[in-house]
Amino acid sequence: MNDSLNTDTRPEVEAFVAEVRARLADLSEEEREELLGGLEADLSDQLADGTALGDPSSYAEELRGAAGLPVRARSSRLRRPSLPTAASLEEGLDRSREGFLALVQERAWTRQAWELLEAVRPAWWVLRAWVAVTLLDQVAGTWEYVTLVPTLAVPLLGPGLLLVAVVLSVLIGLGRLWPGSGPRRPLLARLVLVALNVVAVLAPLSFAVMTPVQGDPEWAGYSAGYRDGARQPGLRLDSDEVRNLFVYNANGRLVQGAQIFRGSGEPLTVRPQDAHTGRGDERLVGCGWLNGTTELFNVFPLAQRPQLRGSCLDEPGRRDPGGPLVDAEPPFAQVPPVTSPVPVEPVEPVAPVEPVAPTR
Amino acid sequence: MDTTQLLKGVLDLAVLAVVEDDDGYGYDVLRRLRAGGLTEVGDASVYGTLRRLYAAGALTSYVVPSDEGPHRKYYGITPMGRAQLERQTKDWASFSETVTALLAHHPQGAAS
Repeated sequence: MNDSLNTDTRPEVEAFVAEVRARLADLSEEEREELLGGLEADLSDQLADGTALGDPSSYAEELRGAAGLPVRARSSRLRRPSLPTAASLEEGLDRSREGFLALVQERAWTRQAWELLEAVRPAWWVLRAWVAVTLLDQVAGTWEYVTLVPTLAVPLLGPGLLLVAVVLSVLIGLGRLWPGSGPRRPLLARLVLVALNVVAVLAPLSFAVMTPVQGDPEWAGYSAGYRDGARQPGLRLDSDEVRNLFVYNANGRLVQGAQIFRGSGEPLTVRPQDAHTGRGDERLVGCGWLNGTTELFNVFPLAQRPQLRGSCLDEPGRRDPGGPLVDAEPPFAQVPPVTSPVPVEPVEPVAPVEPVAPTR
Repeated sequence: MDTTQLLKGVLDLAVLAVVEDDDGYGYDVLRRLRAGGLTEVGDASVYGTLRRLYAAGALTSYVVPSDEGPHRKYYGITPMGRAQLERQTKDWASFSETVTALLAHHPQGAAS
């Protein structure tokens, strides 16, 4: 049989026969050629007479049915996927159940393991009740860690709900309450139970569990690192580094050697490595006031000296000798005078404050 | 009444009958059956039946190349096919007589 002899086959017939051939793929070569031999000629004549070709899938089924060959029901279902019917779903459930049980019975150890699991089935009933109430606890209200007894914000509500859920779950497990358990029940009940159990298995994956996370030193390290990343060190104004401060008194004069502290007593310290301005030859580093030999960086304005890199704390090197210390250039020579909002006692005249020379 | 179910039972017999005197290819056989009054017979059913009868030895087949189209597969009856035709013709005759007689006693049913 050599179809290539013939050049005049209609393309639609060729395509149709190819489709039919594909649906006979499970047959032996001999059986298939037996069925398809001469089919192109027959169909071409048929088409010439004005009869449409129809559906190749049902055609193949009819052909093999009439030829007394097994009808391949499964393949046609695969090729034309349709919504599962209630009967097919039920059959599927039964089949998976039987398949699973057969698999379990195959080996001694799986059989024993399954017996053990069946014995502790009530524990699963309690567990799934807990999962249900905990899921409710997690979904409702503010975020919180999972606790053994769900809290649900209101006192006693959590434990009460848990108790009710356990009772319901056990009753379902015993088959006393819809949807019940096991085969030989309505399809809907079986599907609902399967869905509920799947949720009960998957839901805990979303729970925020407290203990292992907090106790984990690695996690604590991450946490500290995160805080460090979020915290900006040094003295900043709107996240911009403060490199120097200039303090003016009530008369608007620049104050030399103002020691600045915050209310809690902490010195308001500019980090030495932040206290530089300019670039290259114009680069100046800020140097602290001295308490003995200790440089204090909360005393302002910081004096400056030229230095190409590093801070004032770095010893000047041969390649970067640094320059002489000078006063920092203030932004204003003088600012408007101010008065205190605290009322001044008018009774005793205030003695004029003696000017204090800058101590350097 | 849906005749396709009835047809299934007698399709072998009908196919053997239309090729008894004259060999024919698939579509040929289909046309003869339809011309004979079996208008509802499906083409795939007929082609499948031809293949099955051939596999059972009731028919012989040979390919005739065609100049203007794909080659045709002709079917002819074998002695075994003739014997089957003869036997099944008798079976059909007695069966249809029986059913006709049965229906004759129930005129209402026959009228429908």
